[in-house]
Amino acid sequence: MELDFSILSKFQYALRLGLWTTLKLTVICIVLGCALGFAVGLARTSRNIAVRAVSSAYVEFFRGTPVLVQLFWIFFCLPLMLGVELSNFTSGVVALTLYMGAITSETFRASLKSIGPEQFDACVALGLPRNVQVINVVLPQAVLRAIPTLLSNCVSLFKESALVSAVGMADLMFVGQNISNNTARPVEVLTVVALIYFVIAFPLTRAVSVIEARILRKLAI
Amino acid sequence: MAMSFSLPLVKMQALHKSYADGAIQVLKGIDIEMKPGERVVVIGPSGGGKSTLLRVMMGLEKIDSGSVTFDGKPYISSGVKESKTVIDMSVRRSIGMVFQHYTLFPHLNVLQNLTLAPCKVRGEAKAKAQDRAQTLLERFGLGAKAKAYPAQLSGGQKQRVAIARALMLDPKLMLFDEVTSALDPELVGEVEQVILQLAAQNMPMMIVTHDMWFARNIASRVIFCAGGVVVEDGPPEQVLGSPKEERTKEFIDRVFHINQ
Repeated sequence: MELDFSILSKFQYALRLGLWTTLKLTVICIVLGCALGFAVGLARTSRNIAVRAVSSAYVEFFRGTPVLVQLFWIFFCLPLMLGVELSNFTSGVVALTLYMGAITSETFRASLKSIGPEQFDACVALGLPRNVQVINVVLPQAVLRAIPTLLSNCVSLFKESALVSAVGMADLMFVGQNISNNTARPVEVLTVVALIYFVIAFPLTRAVSVIEARILRKLAI
Repeated sequence: MAMSFSLPLVKMQALHKSYADGAIQVLKGIDIEMKPGERVVVIGPSGGGKSTLLRVMMGLEKIDSGSVTFDGKPYISSGVKESKTVIDMSVRRSIGMVFQHYTLFPHLNVLQNLTLAPCKVRGEAKAKAQDRAQTLLERFGLGAKAKAYPAQLSGGQKQRVAIARALMLDPKLMLFDEVTSALDPELVGEVEQVILQLAAQNMPMMIVTHDMWFARNIASRVIFCAGGVVVEDGPPEQVLGSPKEERTKEFIDRVFHINQ
């Protein structure tokens, strides 16, 4: 079998467009998902039993079902139930944000929990008001402890985002699949698509270990 | 010449405290009066209420009943409503505490650990707080560690930073809760030296410790606490040397036997 990678040069523009969609979708869902995750992480430690029940149900549901099913449900069932048309991109953002929120809420919950009670003793002994405790003591420690896991969550989301191609969103995977079908050159095209994903994800996974080691060494947490 | 009469700095009256809805009684009526300039060392068996006593003084624990006045002002009282403890926050700010496990903020460097409370609680200017912090650190032999993070310090250094951090708020009373218990033996001395240095400046303090050498050196008065009550209270020579109470004698014998 002969390989001819030159055919890909014709589709450079399409691939770049697909990559742009993938990156845009990923970044938006990371930002929204982390914010949602932090809020839900806090909600799950709430004293209010209703708040705790709702947030737990949400997290368990999204952790316990395949992302592909979630995507299909939001693409096809949600518009039917709400009676509104959602654009492909909006549906993708909603689905992956909800997924990311569920995953990161667990990360934040663990990091909040890992702050020992003696830190609060110190806050009281120093007379720090509640808002100073949260902003200057709890939040920075929770975020620092969460960073390595959050980065892994982000890499996962970047890779999982390829699933949106299944519902017809023109991301990198979708474009790659189309080119491969039209040219009947699946080996060349899909290899290049895989390499593009890898080239972006690999430095991030390396960064996770470097940052983790640095945080651990400096703060011993 | 010492005054023969002075108002108490701390006056605890009939302090009661229990955990688990009264199932475990930790303090069963504690009455202690402490004069300004006194250095009270509290000794006793584990679970006898020593640490709880300090935590109550710091406002970290609720009480069932009783009251504490500080410098003549009401400080802690059990509220009218049950399970409600009233703590005067302005009084609490004049008390400093150092814990067994350092409790430094791991994400802040030494200087930031020292200046956080003065800047945020009192609104002190950052530059001024940093100057004061640097002076304190130098006094404690930590001048070069201002930019270090807690994880980069030894236990002894961490504990000295914790003491400096508490002193930044100019406390009128210092509480030390087993501050050398978590330290390697060779690091105990440097922390005790710092506390002795404070004692030389007449800082009033309440100390819970298992270190009898330290107790003898620093105490102006020793209280033996067991079973949630004060069993014996007197000068160090008496309580540590020739205790009057049988329970104190047993405890002291056992501690010195272990130490030998």
